Amino acid sequence: MKWITRERPKIDRIACPWLIKQFVDKDAEFIYVPKELAFAKAAELNAIPYDIPGAEYTHEGEYCTFDYIVKKHRLSDPPILQIATIVRGADTDRFDLAPQAAGLWAISAGLSHNYSNDQEMLEIGIRLYDALYSWAKYVQNEKHNWKPGN
Amino acid sequence: MKWITRERPKIDRLACPWLIKRFVDREAVFIYVPVDQVFPLAEIEDAIPFDIAGVEYTHYDDQCTFDYIIRKHKIEDAGVLVMAPIVRGADTDRHDLASQASGLWAISAGLAYNETDDQALLEKGMMLYDVLHSWAKHLQHIKHTQQPSEHQLIEILRRFVQQEKDQQKIPDWVKGLKEIIQDQIDTNLNLKQLSEELDINPSYLSRVFSRYFENRSFGEYVRKQRIDKAIELMQTPSYTLTEIAYLTGFSDHSHFARIFKNETGQNPSSYRKKTVKK
Repeated sequence: MKWITRERPKIDRIACPWLIKQFVDKDAEFIYVPKELAFAKAAELNAIPYDIPGAEYTHEGEYCTFDYIVKKHRLSDPPILQIATIVRGADTDRFDLAPQAAGLWAISAGLSHNYSNDQEMLEIGIRLYDALYSWAKYVQNEKHNWKPGN
Repeated sequence: MKWITRERPKIDRLACPWLIKRFVDREAVFIYVPVDQVFPLAEIEDAIPFDIAGVEYTHYDDQCTFDYIIRKHKIEDAGVLVMAPIVRGADTDRHDLASQASGLWAISAGLAYNETDDQALLEKGMMLYDVLHSWAKHLQHIKHTQQPSEHQLIEILRRFVQQEKDQQKIPDWVKGLKEIIQDQIDTNLNLKQLSEELDINPSYLSRVFSRYFENRSFGEYVRKQRIDKAIELMQTPSYTLTEIAYLTGFSDHSHFARIFKNETGQNPSSYRKKTVKK
């Protein structure tokens, strides 16, 4: 399927494509367009609009679109649930939700500043969420201590 | 210059190369080797060893190598100074030093897990610290939700859209049934007959009725409609209560009075006295 949303993604519009590709639709294609064109282009390209008010896939109350996908597609992988909280914190300016939210926000804001091509940003963003997933799944209990000579 | 350090970098051994390349030595080359080969190879390659005990470029007290480079090379870039406690916090497991440290650590640990080639990891690290630097320099006071009202507006819109959807979901027969009940309130309404009239399976109708009729069963709903109609008719002084009972489908006055009291807590005559002006 094609998925479409507003241009200039920061958090949710990068995290959702990653989640969709990993767990919902492996062959998904993602399109970014100016906000006012999202619904018209969605109809024209037969694409699913997301993370835009009025679409099915969007924020619900204090939950972000990433949360909605987790709920709708009944994803229950523990690292995904943990990443959902981090993404929600970074995306909705609720850094108290997870310690990693502030850092994810800083890095995502910087990415958006450095890469003006949304597709390029998506490619880097996907590696970013791959990293976050590996951390959550495999190494989050590891501590980093600098051991001299080690 | 060549710079050399231990293999499998996570934080400092990626952040320092970034800092060196961007602010100290643009042409710098970085070599990662097993810990026991750092000193012998530093000699052979004429490389500067860093982030390892016993060298100049290393940790001092609670400061990491990134801090030392800033101090030694007198780097005053505002973005780099914001980054220093984040890097130090992530590198020395002191996540309390900066709120971004935990996130930087998580992403760095995950990047290292996913990328086993240290040179490829360094490339990603360069990109990561470029990005963090942009945030630190230009964006750190910008919030993602720029207007607090934005969320509220989105929420209101969402509810509105949901309401529209809910309304669309009401089946056609509901409207017809509502009209029939209203028109025939004075007759002996029964659900089975109505379902035949509407061509709907009676047990289905009985099951879903309350969903579309104020959460009431068929009997409760009809009773409520009858009492509402009775209250309406009470406004016309010329109707007697017996007539009203008859017009609202009750078999006699005492049946009407009993149901009326159940629904409103009062009997019809005192209710009428209180609410209707003479």
